[in-house]
Amino acid sequence: MWLLWAVIDRSGAASRWIEDRAKDEAALDRMRRGDAEALAELYDRHARPVYSLALRVLQDEGDAEDIVQDVFSQAWRQAARFDSARGNVAAWLLTIARSRAIDRLRARRARPDRGAELPPLPEIADAAPAADLQLLAAEQVARIRGALAALPLLQRVAIELAYYEGLTHTEIAERLEQPLGTVKTRIRLAMTKLREALAGA
Amino acid sequence: MAKPPLSMSHDELRALVEAHVLGALPADEREAFEAHVATCASCATEVRAYAPVVGALARVVPQVDPPAALRARVLSAVVTDTRPGSDVVSAFRRTDATGSDASKVRLKPDTTYRSVRPWLAAAASIALAVGLAVYSSQLRGRIASLEGRLRDALARADATERREADARRAADEAQSQVAILTAPDVVRIDLAGQPAAPTAAARAMWSRQRGLVFTASNLPPLPAGRIYQLWVLTAEPAPISAALLRPDPSGRASAMVVTPVDMPAPTAMAVTIEPEGGVPAPTGDRYLVGVAPGH
Repeated sequence: MWLLWAVIDRSGAASRWIEDRAKDEAALDRMRRGDAEALAELYDRHARPVYSLALRVLQDEGDAEDIVQDVFSQAWRQAARFDSARGNVAAWLLTIARSRAIDRLRARRARPDRGAELPPLPEIADAAPAADLQLLAAEQVARIRGALAALPLLQRVAIELAYYEGLTHTEIAERLEQPLGTVKTRIRLAMTKLREALAGA
Repeated sequence: MAKPPLSMSHDELRALVEAHVLGALPADEREAFEAHVATCASCATEVRAYAPVVGALARVVPQVDPPAALRARVLSAVVTDTRPGSDVVSAFRRTDATGSDASKVRLKPDTTYRSVRPWLAAAASIALAVGLAVYSSQLRGRIASLEGRLRDALARADATERREADARRAADEAQSQVAILTAPDVVRIDLAGQPAAPTAAARAMWSRQRGLVFTASNLPPLPAGRIYQLWVLTAEPAPISAALLRPDPSGRASAMVVTPVDMPAPTAMAVTIEPEGGVPAPTGDRYLVGVAPGH
């Protein structure tokens, strides 16, 4: 019986999730036409994860609030550029948030990359929607959390320094005083494990 | 970029996928990778396959509600300061009745950081190089040993429930120690053995944000009823008691202390021998003393 409930619950969550995605895309459409209500709707659905990510990167509430403003300001200005074939709105907002937060972190460190050329997080097109549906967002997060906790410490530190602190693999190698090749291998191994954690049943 | 483009084989580039999706490639490798992936379907598939992982990394952080007042601030600032589609690209799209260019438009993060002046970059690189040399040499040994401790601790967690609790505590502690050791503001204080314990030695790492890690070796065994006490000296006249230390049979002792954020920066640290239970101010012989860099 409980299994049946689990199935029902899951399909309920899945349809809510599809519904939210459709609402996000509709909101962006309305934003393109200057509908400020649509922006407010988007804010209500996504401000929390955007703020939380910025806070994790910057460790400062005021800075994280500024990033939230930047993100929604950019979403408002660039609503027309968003292409739903390339990914979902939530992922788009979080990609902007991460990239703005890392820029600010680096500016704060007064520590530009060589030649002041900083690596932004690449924008990655989503997997096909059908594949998306196989795993709901909350379940993905739970699996990644478990997989991160299971990584050897140095692998996890390498991932965290890259994603949350914006260091390049060269900088991570310097920071941990490990050979560059070792750091590259650790990043690959760790990412492969995280990917398997999402793919595995 | 004045540098010539990197020349890499498919396999070399394929090995960069994971670093690329994390944003961890230096500029030259990133350019080479992006040029390659534009023409290589298998690498492009690999990149796409990581989208859910990167998305989950963004959402795996502790979730915190933004302050309620932020909503009004963001919405009023955004809507009054800018119009939707005020970017050049979307203005272009509006003039294009077919809309066919929209699909070619790709988002690029803003690149205002490019305006950073080269001299500033050079000065920062020098400061960074000096800082990193000191910093990383401190970290290497500690991280290696902590990784071992954490692995051991996690392995032990498979045993009985009581042992599991101990192991998790050790794992948490090891992780907190790494947090201190990797803190951007970490300060190291080396403590030297005094006449009472000439071969003793200790090291403290302090971060205002994250706390204090202290490890000592070769401490003489304690007589009954006595204990070692660790003191932090600051600009304030009274030393602050930081921890009580009981060395193991090999003479090692360690402590991890969460320090108040408003604590004045340590100027020196000392270990004295005191009556068991500790004392509010040092009374006994000094066993270890060290002065903070710059004091």
